[in-house]
Amino acid sequence: MLDRRSFLGKAATGLGGIALLDLLQRDRLLAAQPIRPDILPTRPHAARPPHFSPKAKQVLVIFCSGAISQMDTWDYKPELAKRHGQPLPGADGFITSQGQQGNLTRPLYPFRRYGQSGKMVSDLVSRIGEFADDICWVHSVKGKTNSHGPGENFMSTGFTADGFPSMGAWATYALGSENESLPAYVAIPDPRGKPQSSVNNWAPGFLPAAYQGVDFNSTHPVRNLARPASIPVTADRAARDLIQSLNRRHLERFPGDTDLAARIAAYQITGRMQTSIPAVSDLSREPAHILKMYGADDTKTKHKADYARNCILARRLLEKGVRFVQLFNGSYQTGGEGTSNWDGHKKLTAQYDVHGPIFNQPTGALLRDLKQRGLLENTLVFCCSEFGRMPTFQKGASGRDHNPDGFTAWFAGAGVKRGHTHGATDPFGWKAEQNPVTVHDLHATALHLLGLNHERLSYRQNGTERRLTDVHGHVIKEVLA
Amino acid sequence: MKIFYSRIAFASLLLTFVGGLGAIDVDELPPPAKHEVNFVKEILPIFKKHCVKCHGPDKQKSDYRIDVKARAFEGGEIGAAIIPGKSAESPLVHFISGLDEEVLMPPKGDLLEDKTVGLIRAWIDQGADWPDDAGAQIADPMEHWAFKPLRQPGTPRFMDPMDAFLWVRLEAKGLKFSQQADKRTLIRRLYLVMHGLPPTSAEVTAFVENKDPRAYAKLVERVLASPRYGERWGQHWLDVARFAESHGFEMNRERPHAWRYRDYVIDSFNADKPYNQFVKEQLAGGTFGAEAATGFIVAGPHDMVLGSDPAHQATLRQNDLAEMVNATGTTFLGLTLGCARCHNHKFDPVSQNDFYAMTAIFGGVQHADRTIGSKNKLQRKTKLLAELEAVEKSLAELLKPPVAYDRNEEFFAPVKAKSVRFTVLATSNQGEPCIDELEVFGEDNKNVALGGTLKSSGNFANNPKHKLAHLIDGKFGNSRSWISNARGKGWVQITFLKPARIERIVWQRDRQGKLRDRLPTNYKIEIESAPGQWRVVASSNSRVPFGTKFDANAVAARKDLTEVQKIKTTALLKRHAVLRKELAEIETGSLAYAGKFAKPPKVFRLHRGDAMQPREAVAAGTLLKFNGARFAAEATEATRRTALAEWIVSPENPLTARVIVNRVWQYHFGTGLVDTPNDFGHNGAPPTHPEFLDWLAADFITHRWSLKHLHRRILGSRAFTQSSAPLPAALKRDAQSRLLWRFPPRRLEAEAIRDSILAASGKLDLAMGGPGFSLFEIQKENVRHYFPKQKFGPADWRRMVYATKFRQELDDVFGAFDCPDGNQSVPRRGRSTTPMQALNLLNSPFMLDQANHLAARVKKDAGPNVEAQVRRAFHLTLGRVPEIHELAAAKKLAADHGLPALARALFNTHEFITIP
Repeated sequence: MLDRRSFLGKAATGLGGIALLDLLQRDRLLAAQPIRPDILPTRPHAARPPHFSPKAKQVLVIFCSGAISQMDTWDYKPELAKRHGQPLPGADGFITSQGQQGNLTRPLYPFRRYGQSGKMVSDLVSRIGEFADDICWVHSVKGKTNSHGPGENFMSTGFTADGFPSMGAWATYALGSENESLPAYVAIPDPRGKPQSSVNNWAPGFLPAAYQGVDFNSTHPVRNLARPASIPVTADRAARDLIQSLNRRHLERFPGDTDLAARIAAYQITGRMQTSIPAVSDLSREPAHILKMYGADDTKTKHKADYARNCILARRLLEKGVRFVQLFNGSYQTGGEGTSNWDGHKKLTAQYDVHGPIFNQPTGALLRDLKQRGLLENTLVFCCSEFGRMPTFQKGASGRDHNPDGFTAWFAGAGVKRGHTHGATDPFGWKAEQNPVTVHDLHATALHLLGLNHERLSYRQNGTERRLTDVHGHVIKEVLA
Repeated sequence: MKIFYSRIAFASLLLTFVGGLGAIDVDELPPPAKHEVNFVKEILPIFKKHCVKCHGPDKQKSDYRIDVKARAFEGGEIGAAIIPGKSAESPLVHFISGLDEEVLMPPKGDLLEDKTVGLIRAWIDQGADWPDDAGAQIADPMEHWAFKPLRQPGTPRFMDPMDAFLWVRLEAKGLKFSQQADKRTLIRRLYLVMHGLPPTSAEVTAFVENKDPRAYAKLVERVLASPRYGERWGQHWLDVARFAESHGFEMNRERPHAWRYRDYVIDSFNADKPYNQFVKEQLAGGTFGAEAATGFIVAGPHDMVLGSDPAHQATLRQNDLAEMVNATGTTFLGLTLGCARCHNHKFDPVSQNDFYAMTAIFGGVQHADRTIGSKNKLQRKTKLLAELEAVEKSLAELLKPPVAYDRNEEFFAPVKAKSVRFTVLATSNQGEPCIDELEVFGEDNKNVALGGTLKSSGNFANNPKHKLAHLIDGKFGNSRSWISNARGKGWVQITFLKPARIERIVWQRDRQGKLRDRLPTNYKIEIESAPGQWRVVASSNSRVPFGTKFDANAVAARKDLTEVQKIKTTALLKRHAVLRKELAEIETGSLAYAGKFAKPPKVFRLHRGDAMQPREAVAAGTLLKFNGARFAAEATEATRRTALAEWIVSPENPLTARVIVNRVWQYHFGTGLVDTPNDFGHNGAPPTHPEFLDWLAADFITHRWSLKHLHRRILGSRAFTQSSAPLPAALKRDAQSRLLWRFPPRRLEAEAIRDSILAASGKLDLAMGGPGFSLFEIQKENVRHYFPKQKFGPADWRRMVYATKFRQELDDVFGAFDCPDGNQSVPRRGRSTTPMQALNLLNSPFMLDQANHLAARVKKDAGPNVEAQVRRAFHLTLGRVPEIHELAAAKKLAADHGLPALARALFNTHEFITIP
């Protein structure tokens, strides 16, 4: 038993001081001091300054879910056509996700030359080819998994496991948004359903729930947004008034309570969101020529018209200052491999003949629209897929298996070179050969364009400084304008 | 002379490099310097200038650090880099020589001059002398507060020790404890923290009016004895244990038997199972008589998409094992063991070898259901079957289940009949209806249909399997059935040999249970009592509609039942489910998602964590720096897990007690004494009150690792019972209230908000245990798709800890309140405030329903007087009387827009969802 004096003496020289000193010393040793944004509890989505002057203020991700085939779209491989029907050199006994390889198979769609850059792009994505001079192609991306779920996680969150924050969550955590009356981060799922890795693609992981992507699209509005039909406007307003007056009274009793102040602010914002989200989602005012340009008037192909509407929605959100928009093409719902996404294992041509037209015109129109409205000045467009596909057909099938060893992603817009190609796969489009780029590098580059240092933007979780790029990643200097 | 060495280690540095053996001609090496070399003056500056950027304090590429004596000699991934006396054989010299194009050090910039290489050679040849005090010094990683044995700081006697340690830090900062919280606040805080439910208004009144000085202590005992405690604190544990009831990843299939682990956890908390026992059971349950407990090991995500690629498959298996090791480390030890998967832990004394020794412990664990419990209890079975029959009969009188493909029974009051007619009005798939047999029974259980004469609306043509005669041939199955000739409709009629007294009809599409189509879903059955006089005795109208689950929600939806009948039906239904389940388990044994255990394979250290790069073999074992050991090669699978468990709870392990005591503290106050509860290593945060943490941990062990003992201590402390009012002066010095000059108020978690709403509305169903209820509709393709339910009923009104926890998918209303997605251990919930939360609480169908229920309850309790209603509504939701202005505003809302509007508003107040 200790008396007060000796107890005090012991406690004062106790371990706390030592441990703290130790911590400080270690922190000083770390080369890149972490930067954690200073977030106002009452305004978690207020715009916050980047680490340095940014090239891009907003991001549009176009995610081709299911793994789009690079050699049938934008990675032109004449050698593959020449060697059609021959075995893939160096792939003797090579086993991919679904098993053994058949022979090399030529590009399944004709390619033609576009723009001054003379980029070869296939007819399947011709409308994107029209913007070849605006696009910065990266043909040498390497992933690290050949399974869809982990692959989509990797591309969206930097980790193959579920449960990590998505790139959009990181961006809005760092930067907030230019428009606090709309969600800072919107995920637009394909009209056919969610992507392969579902909500992981826009999850907040361990970041605060405020940085979760809000998912809605042209056919599925934000859940619980609208005032229920059973509650008249006046009753709704009166109930909200009472909530706020009770909360304000609570705040008088608990002055300075930041959680409480944040709740009062959140209820104020809901009122604005109930007006601004339906307004931004309302395409009825879009002129006929715009609907036509996107293909939203296509009455024969409902999926295409719905995806086109999603594309228009994406543009409208960007126009309103939403920080991060993630547009999906392809879903795993309603059928699994190939039938509603780019996962062409068995009958690739039959499947891509369906998906190509859904994707091509609306996405091309989105690029056109962003460009003609000047939105590309401030917006970084990033088109990706969880991985690529093999230059061979699968043994006994007419489709291509997964290939994470070399595939294509592309950038366009703010801060990136125009009409430029970075990196290359081998002559068949199998492995990244020239200037290989990791998924972390793509993330580092996107953050860099937003004015964020990927090595310093961090969140402390379980005692670890977490980053989008984990302990990897280099900004791809060669793609910067 | 050529020298060969392994170079795989450098593959990652040189991205295009493919592993193999390299060689240089040592004769080409620059000659060693001739003079006696001084390490401090001549060598160390070279290291600092050219090497430490990549092999120094910030980075240790290839796991090599050159500026610290021990590490420089020890080497990195390739083994020793410096061989004293032999510069020509030292890999370091080869790498810096510039002779091997595949390993050039430094990799960027100019190569070292020959003169420099010569200096280093000379230093090595002369014995590589390195004075101990030269170069960077690194502390022994064991020199860390949490790795030292628990200290016994001595018990202060001038004040209750629970207050003394905090008081010292407060006083040092010029702060003091706040005054005692008022009783209303205190009981509400106590219930919300310990049960995740508010006290009932009767409990509040009784406590406030109780003058007994021991009233609070007695209340604490009552709260600890309630099973609500285990449900609340079990949820905390399930967060840490990353528990979920689906596999995760793209398929995300269900784990229908995972709930047994959830029940095990809740039961353990309620029983105040000693924590050391609790730990041991979860790692080696079978050995300790708690089989479902090993659900912990396999509670994490598991990717089912194996594919054909063996490298991918091996990686997935390693991911599973790493996940188990990491979960064990963070949960019980507060150590981030996962960091040692690819290299030695960067901060803590955990080697990569340790990591693989731990994976070897779990090497035999497979993600799978396991049969637990005993089988074939015949007597019990007979008894249960008898009860089941009785329950089914009573049930049938009230409400019948939806039609089934394999057997349907119709009961009616005994009646004399000469014919029976079965008319089909719709089928399950719009096809022609099919019935394989129609049996008609009297009191003596004799099938009077046999031998009767048949008529029908028309018969399926030209198929020997489907004939009208098959309807009463006493044979079952598709090949002995009748099918109508019209899609979705048709009728059959049997005229008995002679009129008979009948009371029961049995029919089905396929008694063999093979085919699931053509089922009559809308039908009526008539009897002919006198010639030409037909009347309906049974029809699909008295059944729960086809395609609907037969549960409490289906009962609640019936308009044809009285309230009393509904209550009776629901009770019968529950009993029915329990009986069916127990019977099924007697047949099969119970299944639990608790892992299957096989003989563990041999384990190797994996270079850079890559499953395709095995290195030396590693024996199973525990962390060597923490009194761990490597087990004998013949140690069986179960022995390994048992040894691990015993090591974790051994009194010499400095982490286990500290970690759990800190967790318990955190769930009381919102923040732990260490605010990185899953990381007590060098990278974690230091404790605010280190002596106190040790004192608590030691006291906890002394009191037989009893969590309830620890609760009693904390709940009785000044820190817990003081006011939470903010004081500007104190906020300035300690804005986070980390030193506990007040009780820090905080928002409730998702589950507690939902449970509190149901408690206030009076709809909370306190049924414990068993399979959970679902917050989602599931589309069962190969891959599962989850859609948040939009309509809820009584079956969904249990506590949320019993909601089936699907990975990734968050509830549409409460998911936004930082609900974990089940993918990672969550040691502490986020407490963010967002507009989406507000929208969900304002507008979701669940909330509107509950607002209506609360309004109805208030009306029933308080009568028609609006003021009485408002007072009652405040009491039920906030546990207090309204202030005068609040009363006026609330009365106006209720009078103008009805009680549901007031209920909706009260559920949305900050106060309702806050621990005060």
